Amino acid sequence: MKIPHTIRVGALVLAATSFYTYVGQMVPQKEVQPPQETVIRADLTTDDMVKVGREVMDNKGLCFTCHTIGKTEGPFRFPDLAGVDERAMTRVKGLSDIEYFAQTLYEPNAFIVPGFNPGMPTINKPPIGLTDQEILCVIAYLQTLGGKATVTLQTSHHYYTPAAAPGAAPGAAPAPASAQGAAPGAPPAAPAAAPGGAPTSPAAPAAGAAPVKPAAAPAGAPAPTAPTKGTR
Amino acid sequence: MNGAMNRKLLFIFGPITGVVMFAAVVIIATLLTNREYKEPYRAPAATVDTTPRTEGLTAEKADAEAKAKAKPYQEVEYRTFPVVGSRVAIWAVAQLHLLFAAFVLAVPIFAFIIEVIGYKTGDQRYDRLAYEFTKLLSTSFSLTATFGAFLTFMLIILYPKFTNYLMSVFSPTFLPYVLLFFFEAFFLYTYYYGWGKFHPLVHLGLGLGLNLVGTGIMLIANAWLTFMMSPRGVSDQGAVLSVWDAIYNYTWMPINVHRIIANVAFGGSVAAAYAAFKFLQATTDEERAHYDWMGYIGNFVAISAFLPLPFAGYWLAKEIYAFSQTLGLTMMGGAFSWLFIIQAVLIGNLFLAANYYLWLGMGRVEGMQPLQKFIKFLLVGIALCFAVWATPRSIIATVSEIRAMGGSAHPILGYLGVMSAKNTAVNILILTTFMSFLLYRRTGKIATVAWAKTGHATQLAIFAGAAIIVIFLGIYGYFVEATVRIGLSVPQVSSVLFAMVSITAIDIFLFRGASMTGEVRWGRMPAISQYVLIFIAVTFTWLMGLMGYVRSGLRQHWHVYGVIRDTSADAFTPTLGFATQVVSATVLMFFALIAFVFWITSLHDRPDYKGRERNRQVREHAGAGDVGLTEAS
Repeated sequence: MKIPHTIRVGALVLAATSFYTYVGQMVPQKEVQPPQETVIRADLTTDDMVKVGREVMDNKGLCFTCHTIGKTEGPFRFPDLAGVDERAMTRVKGLSDIEYFAQTLYEPNAFIVPGFNPGMPTINKPPIGLTDQEILCVIAYLQTLGGKATVTLQTSHHYYTPAAAPGAAPGAAPAPASAQGAAPGAPPAAPAAAPGGAPTSPAAPAAGAAPVKPAAAPAGAPAPTAPTKGTR
Repeated sequence: MNGAMNRKLLFIFGPITGVVMFAAVVIIATLLTNREYKEPYRAPAATVDTTPRTEGLTAEKADAEAKAKAKPYQEVEYRTFPVVGSRVAIWAVAQLHLLFAAFVLAVPIFAFIIEVIGYKTGDQRYDRLAYEFTKLLSTSFSLTATFGAFLTFMLIILYPKFTNYLMSVFSPTFLPYVLLFFFEAFFLYTYYYGWGKFHPLVHLGLGLGLNLVGTGIMLIANAWLTFMMSPRGVSDQGAVLSVWDAIYNYTWMPINVHRIIANVAFGGSVAAAYAAFKFLQATTDEERAHYDWMGYIGNFVAISAFLPLPFAGYWLAKEIYAFSQTLGLTMMGGAFSWLFIIQAVLIGNLFLAANYYLWLGMGRVEGMQPLQKFIKFLLVGIALCFAVWATPRSIIATVSEIRAMGGSAHPILGYLGVMSAKNTAVNILILTTFMSFLLYRRTGKIATVAWAKTGHATQLAIFAGAAIIVIFLGIYGYFVEATVRIGLSVPQVSSVLFAMVSITAIDIFLFRGASMTGEVRWGRMPAISQYVLIFIAVTFTWLMGLMGYVRSGLRQHWHVYGVIRDTSADAFTPTLGFATQVVSATVLMFFALIAFVFWITSLHDRPDYKGRERNRQVREHAGAGDVGLTEAS
């Protein structure tokens, strides 16, 4: 029996389409849900913050799209995070590990690890948009990679000061962040810190134009909105 | 016997049952109508309602009316489409609109070019071919416009708030868009119906106008969709700062270029599929020759546009990374990374099918034997490159298999899953396909120019040089840092492009005035070659659907990336398996509709009804005569 060409063509279209659908079922199937907002209680302990930080990095922060922990052989997209706290203490002169981590998250292009391209997004802005508290939790987790977590939800740093930091006089500028949040054994607070606590590391952004009041830092920090053609 | 008994019982009990039921209905109705109103029982603690019933009901009604009148207008954010949901509904309609739009924009480009060739050479075959392509346009244009209107209504109904936002950002672009659409209709129908009715140059002017206006429409529509992916010209909260910046966003120009090239590749493949279908139905050698030639030209257009497409893709990906590393990494390293393995399977199939068609095409030409021996080497090269491209970095494996491998990447094959290997594979694939085309082109020809030997040697040297550069840089990429490795794709691509352009240029002069060893016998192609053309068209269409999904899906839970968040029930990113099912359903719908376009177009050549009736009667009459003769004898 001779099958008409129209039927053959229809069968071919159906077969080709079915084959590609089949290929689509063979790859890993993952449904990606929109990030859930994490409610961070004010009374979280540092240990709790470490757990929350890891969870944030896994989900909303999308950190492990690029970073790895404990990968020994390349190729690496971005730096591996194993032992990162040890490196963070000495990576940029004048910055404690907490200040360094904060800088990498709030102002990622201020310092690029040698051998890698700039590429880290500004974490407190959309599309990732972590809150200041979530970022503190992430810092807590990062400290455990090669060090010990010391941050609390009251820790302030160059980019953020809690609304009611314990011991801070109302209206007074908080103590230098690195002094408050420095890990044990970390270098002392930046001796050459600019007035107002702005770090003076060569990698610090726009020296001299840094915000003078830490409380205003989040607003004063460069607003990395959608980049413009001229600045990329 | 039993049946008769049953019927008797029915006669007896039937009327009795009827009377009893009637009585029951009357009694129940009487009881209900005579029933007095009684206050409902209320628990002692409950508030006693002292309002008489009728007054209470009136007050309730008045209260409800007052509330209805005072109800403030509230903008609906989302509405739900039944059964499949809003996202799938919009997805399918948008994809169908884009597929028809791509076809309608692409066909005039190569119809115009073929008409120009016909005008310059004076060969009427080209003019007829261009007209044959143009015949496919008018129904497709109507379907494009219908799906465009359908998409607009669906957006307004299902995503009213977001659509309102997009309209507020791009309001200055809508009137020019509508105006261009009018011009498109004017040029298209004048170009089609005016074939042979004007001076050739006037007609070519109409074709040029059609292409310019079509491109203008595409540029405007691209601004809307690329803004959603890489917004610019708006504040963090979405307020418009500059409409021009919103139009000229990061991915606008790369998408424009990518789409023009991809549209031509897709349009060429669908036109070739039309020719293949007509070839299979042809009843005469003349028809077969014509449609074989048409299929060849359509496929040539498709593959010629397909070869530089990966380079346009690189540019687009580069701009996506430049706009947002997060977006780029979501594409290549995150939720969508496995999609590119599916893409590799599709593109590998396209290359295999395109090469196979070219090799079959050598059979048209007498004297093809000397070149046939190269085919097996080309096939091995394509198969190897295909395998490398489709090798994933990390393999789906069980826990024990992962332990045995020492990680999710295979100790040897894992090295083929990285960009260095894949860039090398795709560049070699392009070079191989180019070589197949070159072999086809020179089948049955012998160069007669004085510098023929030098020309061949130069071509070979350029080809070998490009291949060596691509392979060397691919291997070198394993030994350098990421910053250097990313930059290596540029010299790889440049060397392939240089090879393609320079070898073609040499070939044109090399075979000028060449002696022919045999004629091209159009129409002498096996039927399988035509099925290959249809397969290429299906694969191109599916590829467009898949890449359309990744471009749009990349935004994940954002309507406008980083500015307007998707808070609907469909804000999640579906699995790739589900996405491929939607793509397949859309592709099947498209082919059902394009079959309708082909059928409508074929009516053009069909004899009119009266003519067919007359032919039928003549045949019947002749048949009756035969029968009469048989009986008489």
